Amino acid sequence: MKVLASYSIKGGVGKTTAAVNLAALAAMEGRRVLLWDLDPQGGATHLLRVRAKVKGGGRGLVRQRLRLVDAVKASDFDNLDLLPSDFSYRHLDLVLDGQKKPTRMVGHLLASLSADYDLVILDCPPSVSLVTENVVRAADLLLVPLLPAPLSVRTMDQLDSFLATTKGRPPAVLAFLSMVDRRRSLHRRLVDELPRERPGLADAVIPVASAVEQMGVRRAPLVTWSPANPASRAFALLWQEVIRHW
Amino acid sequence: MSEFVVVDPSDELSVDALGEALSARVESRGSERRSWLDTFDWRLYRAGLVLEHRASSSGRSSLVLIDLEGRRLAQLSAPAGGTPDVEDLPAGPLKEQVMSLAGLRTAFVRASAERRVGMLAVLDAEGKTVARVAVDGPLVVRGGVEPLPARVRVEALRGYEKDARGVANCIARSPRVRPAEETLLEAICAAEGLRPGVYRSKPKVQLDPAMSAGRAFAVLLDELVDIARVNVDGTLRQIDPEFLHDLRIAVRSSRSVLKVAKGVFDERPRSHHAAELRWIGDVTTPSRDFDVYLLEFDDLVEHAMDPDAMRPFRTLLTRQCRKAHTELNRALRSKRFARILDGWPDEIVASEDPGPEADVPIAQVGGDRLRSAWRQVRRRGNAVTDASPPDALHDLRKRCKELRYLLEHLASLYEKSAHKEIVDELRQLQNNLGEYQDADNQRRLILQYAEELIAQNAPAKTLVGMGRLDHYFEHRQAVARAQFADHWTRFDRKHNRRVFATMLESR
Repeated sequence: MKVLASYSIKGGVGKTTAAVNLAALAAMEGRRVLLWDLDPQGGATHLLRVRAKVKGGGRGLVRQRLRLVDAVKASDFDNLDLLPSDFSYRHLDLVLDGQKKPTRMVGHLLASLSADYDLVILDCPPSVSLVTENVVRAADLLLVPLLPAPLSVRTMDQLDSFLATTKGRPPAVLAFLSMVDRRRSLHRRLVDELPRERPGLADAVIPVASAVEQMGVRRAPLVTWSPANPASRAFALLWQEVIRHW
Repeated sequence: MSEFVVVDPSDELSVDALGEALSARVESRGSERRSWLDTFDWRLYRAGLVLEHRASSSGRSSLVLIDLEGRRLAQLSAPAGGTPDVEDLPAGPLKEQVMSLAGLRTAFVRASAERRVGMLAVLDAEGKTVARVAVDGPLVVRGGVEPLPARVRVEALRGYEKDARGVANCIARSPRVRPAEETLLEAICAAEGLRPGVYRSKPKVQLDPAMSAGRAFAVLLDELVDIARVNVDGTLRQIDPEFLHDLRIAVRSSRSVLKVAKGVFDERPRSHHAAELRWIGDVTTPSRDFDVYLLEFDDLVEHAMDPDAMRPFRTLLTRQCRKAHTELNRALRSKRFARILDGWPDEIVASEDPGPEADVPIAQVGGDRLRSAWRQVRRRGNAVTDASPPDALHDLRKRCKELRYLLEHLASLYEKSAHKEIVDELRQLQNNLGEYQDADNQRRLILQYAEELIAQNAPAKTLVGMGRLDHYFEHRQAVARAQFADHWTRFDRKHNRRVFATMLESR
């Protein structure tokens, strides 16, 4: 079972969109996929039409009063299940802090699902916290969306510093440009320059697209209802790069 | 998963009406061809798995792996067209699970059905699907008379099991349906006279010691001809080499029965059919030899030499294998073969002039024949010395096979543990003899085809590779030969003779 985390320190950069669409693409290939919506805002949960509620909340899961597998909900798509968000996840840091080995709890919980799934995708809240440390320790690959902005390099530097301070073997990191508007000269310039400044950036560039916004209305991954859309094709390319990283 | 069968076979059950009754949305409708894939011996089904290929009229094609309760374990989109080969599928959990069970064996279509299907999605207040209801229209099975009635299947989704139970309860209240007692696969197989999961390569008969030998041998031959018939189609279509293997075993077992039935059946039809079965054995041998060689080829080449250098040899073997199968198919489609299968074993059994031992109890005749077969094995085994030619071991191997078949056919007459011990001991000896004989055959084949490849100006590295392969088999043969004395001493020890005698007395 591989664990992929969609993570950024910043909010509103396309983490959830990437997590949901990559999960759908992996499921369409026949992989058994679990998407765990760790963000108390519950964006991924909403997009998959599932109620943002976990019996016993985050505390129940962490203290293992409820088996992780019993909180899972099937999505409307074959092979794709969801571990929904719960508003109580906003206190997840506190709950984790009260546990033994608090930075390894998410990984420990996920280990119980290794026979059920081939891939787990974690949709993370935008923060640097104990939850983030858990995610970093559990993930095989950290997928980091970057906005085409000069500050993005700084964002990546901050992430590198954070990874350097965490215990254990750090996960591989694959950053990609997200919400790129090719009509804007700054975006076009940064799409050219950033890969030079930050080697290892994904080739896939996710464009800004009204269809992506439509996902919130349709409440389904873009790749399932508009596979030919440029954003869908970009996610498909990104997914291929993710696979190559394994 | 809950499954229901429509009570009246002519009731076509409207998808729209059911959707309205359940407040469900029609997700899809059309016709679907569903095929069930498994190996010749139902390895998937016996492991609790069912592999389905679903091809819809809209062009959608997928492979779905489910458990026997209908829970979906893995799914994969498949290219439109015919049923895909599992080996050609992209890597993933479905392929991994199927290949880990099937191994070298081919998963092929065991049953298929085409019918109208409709899928309903039961939604909650968020518009989320909480259960699916599949409506399968009536179906006429190939060769069947009555159509199989329409079916309704409620598929539960993880985390929404309660909703699925509610839907199932709602459907169950309708007088038009009743709970299904068998799955669709079981119903289709039953209509075609098959039972999923049931695989037979050997006769399984319970013989009564007091039964006449004529009757007992007739029962055994009946079973064997059934096994042979079941394997003819798979052999003709070359689905999996195991069909030919099982066909050959059924034929060889029958020959063995006919041999020991001398004095039990009418001699004229007995010897005629023995000769005819020998003909089947002969016409099937080349194909079987090539099948085995090609099945093991990649492993052999990997262990013995540079695989690339052996390509011309492989190409030649593949061509010869194809030729051998063409000739075999001609023989299997011949009137002679049809006559043998049609008349066997009735012409022998129904004769009005049976042999003198026809009415003697099988316990007595069986015991006599086993003693004789045992003596034959011992006599030949004890005659083998370090200087004996390969033919002496080959002859011993044939006698061992006869004893083994007889032991297996008459197993129900004897006490289990003694019987098992003797069969296990014999198997070990047979394995050693088999290893020796196989290596000998392989070397003959290498020499034969090396000459052909020289005539075709094959590259020197191919011939060098074949030389290495010959050396590899020579080594295997030498090891088997060196181990024979120990195997024989073990088999012929006093303990085994005592166990054999105990077994014969245990009936």
